[in-house]
Amino acid sequence: MRFELSEEQRLIRETVRDFAETEIAPSAAQRDEEERFDRGLMFDSLAELGLTGIVFPEQYGGAGADYISYAIAVEELSRVCASTGVTLSAHLSLGANPIYLFGTEEQKQEFLIPLATGEKMGAFGLTEPSAGSDAGSTRTTGVRDGNGWILNGTKIFITNGGEAETYVVFARTDKDATKHHGISAFIVSKGTDGFSFGKKEKKLGIRSSPTMEIVFENCRIPGTNLLGEEGEGFKVAMKTLDGGRIGIAAQALGIAQGALEQAVAYAKERKQFDKPLAAFQGISFQLADMATQIEASRLLVYNAAYRASAGLPYSQASAMAKLMASETAMKVTTQAVQILGGYGYTREFPVERMMRDAKITEIYEGTSEIQRLVIGASLTR
Amino acid sequence: MKILVCIKQVPDMESKFKVDAAGTWYDTSDLAWRMNEYDEYAVEQAVRLKEQLGQGDITVLSIGSDKVKETMKKALAMGCDRGLHVSDDQAAGKEPLQIASVIAAFAQDKGFDVIFTGMQSQDRGSGQVGVLTAEILGMPSVTTIVDFSCDGGVVSAKRELEGGVKARVKVNTPALFTCQLGLNKPRYPTLPNIMKAKKKELLSVPVAELLRADARQQTTKLYFPEKKGGGIVLEGDVGELADRLVQILQEKTTVLSR
Repeated sequence: MRFELSEEQRLIRETVRDFAETEIAPSAAQRDEEERFDRGLMFDSLAELGLTGIVFPEQYGGAGADYISYAIAVEELSRVCASTGVTLSAHLSLGANPIYLFGTEEQKQEFLIPLATGEKMGAFGLTEPSAGSDAGSTRTTGVRDGNGWILNGTKIFITNGGEAETYVVFARTDKDATKHHGISAFIVSKGTDGFSFGKKEKKLGIRSSPTMEIVFENCRIPGTNLLGEEGEGFKVAMKTLDGGRIGIAAQALGIAQGALEQAVAYAKERKQFDKPLAAFQGISFQLADMATQIEASRLLVYNAAYRASAGLPYSQASAMAKLMASETAMKVTTQAVQILGGYGYTREFPVERMMRDAKITEIYEGTSEIQRLVIGASLTR
Repeated sequence: MKILVCIKQVPDMESKFKVDAAGTWYDTSDLAWRMNEYDEYAVEQAVRLKEQLGQGDITVLSIGSDKVKETMKKALAMGCDRGLHVSDDQAAGKEPLQIASVIAAFAQDKGFDVIFTGMQSQDRGSGQVGVLTAEILGMPSVTTIVDFSCDGGVVSAKRELEGGVKARVKVNTPALFTCQLGLNKPRYPTLPNIMKAKKKELLSVPVAELLRADARQQTTKLYFPEKKGGGIVLEGDVGELADRLVQILQEKTTVLSR
């Protein structure tokens, strides 16, 4: 068992960290304030670096790197800007990966390659107003129409919504089948007739990442856009989310790491009662706990990523990683705000943004409760 | 065109430095390492030159322990074609002439048209390795360049001199250039190129095979500068303060001309 990163993985971390600190970090607070997505910076420049297809083989426009490299990239971006981290994670794990896992060769040529090269951006539409954690309750319908399909329904909370060109969405194609069995997955391109965007969400955190409602009104798509087998959509969604959880766990890890570094720097600098905060054991013990929880999360995240790359089952591992890393991010960012005190509560310092950003990691791509459900089910099966 | 780029691995300058037990260098444990900043400009310029010419072969050379190969991988990922690692666990203790002798011994029969180095390293900062290498090889060197263009066998380079003065120099190849901040903006290695870099040639040779100079200098002591006393605090009314500040700036600094 080796706990060391490879030379390539270390170089990827150094590169993405340099890039994130130099290019992404300077505008993070302002983009958050203005709730502004900057595609050139937050997506196109990731494409130039080769991050948008990092885990896919070169033949599909990817970099041919492993999931640990992917986790490192999302972690390093999120360390300075969680909105940029989730842009990459939603694009790659949720938009592109199901096409890589379940797509036909033709679908990979048509849809995966432009996603991997970053020419197009991907997104994923599963959640509905009445189908959140209970994805089996999907009400969006897909009805056969000659050799195509007609979609009707609304999806909400779509990360990269409006900006993305390629959407993997889920619709009920068999009303009579039991809950999970009548759902199918489809690839829908922006600009298709009957496919439109609803309201943009105003959020607590990740405010620089667009979250939108997407609407299908008699939206006709070709039969060749069915992703995977008809009626197997639930499986496509669950497999996709297993991978997606690695991305979100890595995002949470990056947010927590960023907050810890802020707290440590402040504790060394800030003097009260004639000594730096770090000299107070009450503070240094808090920092020690934060660092320890982050390191434990990191090992879980990299383990899940390792398993995904090695072709081993990783559903339980990614649920554990996501649960631990997201709850750690929430705890650590809250403590970081506490350590920075009144300053931490202001928008002059990044920790309040990190605390707001951390909360979503306990919610999307499976709430903490769903992660416990997945882990519990894997134990008692 | 054959191009050689010489790079050095140095500690991240954000690191917390300690003097080592022998008292002659910094303690190298618990440091993060990266490519010397000026060498990044050198690598970038080499890659741009090759891109401009549409052909060429870039060798990157570094001297040090096995650890420096990691930094060499970055140069390969940025676009160098092959690497020559001179294996030497004691590289930090060698004086500039010794390092230059190693580079020159490797380069002398390879027919390099252009050699790029950083203008100095961020740790030792002697600024001598480049010029000494050129001297041994009997080729001209142009130091602290901030602009570079090549047409045929003639290079036109802009040098940064003291006091904000710049100089334009034309030189025939083969020649050596030491690179200064402002020359270019080094690219980030892309992920696909990082993955491809591991397939590029990276040979190691022991330093003993290339070392041609004996040590003539010895570092006797490395120490932190003594902490200076606190700054000057001026007190009084504003008009008087301004006069005294101007007087101090005139007497003790060059920011105000008399």
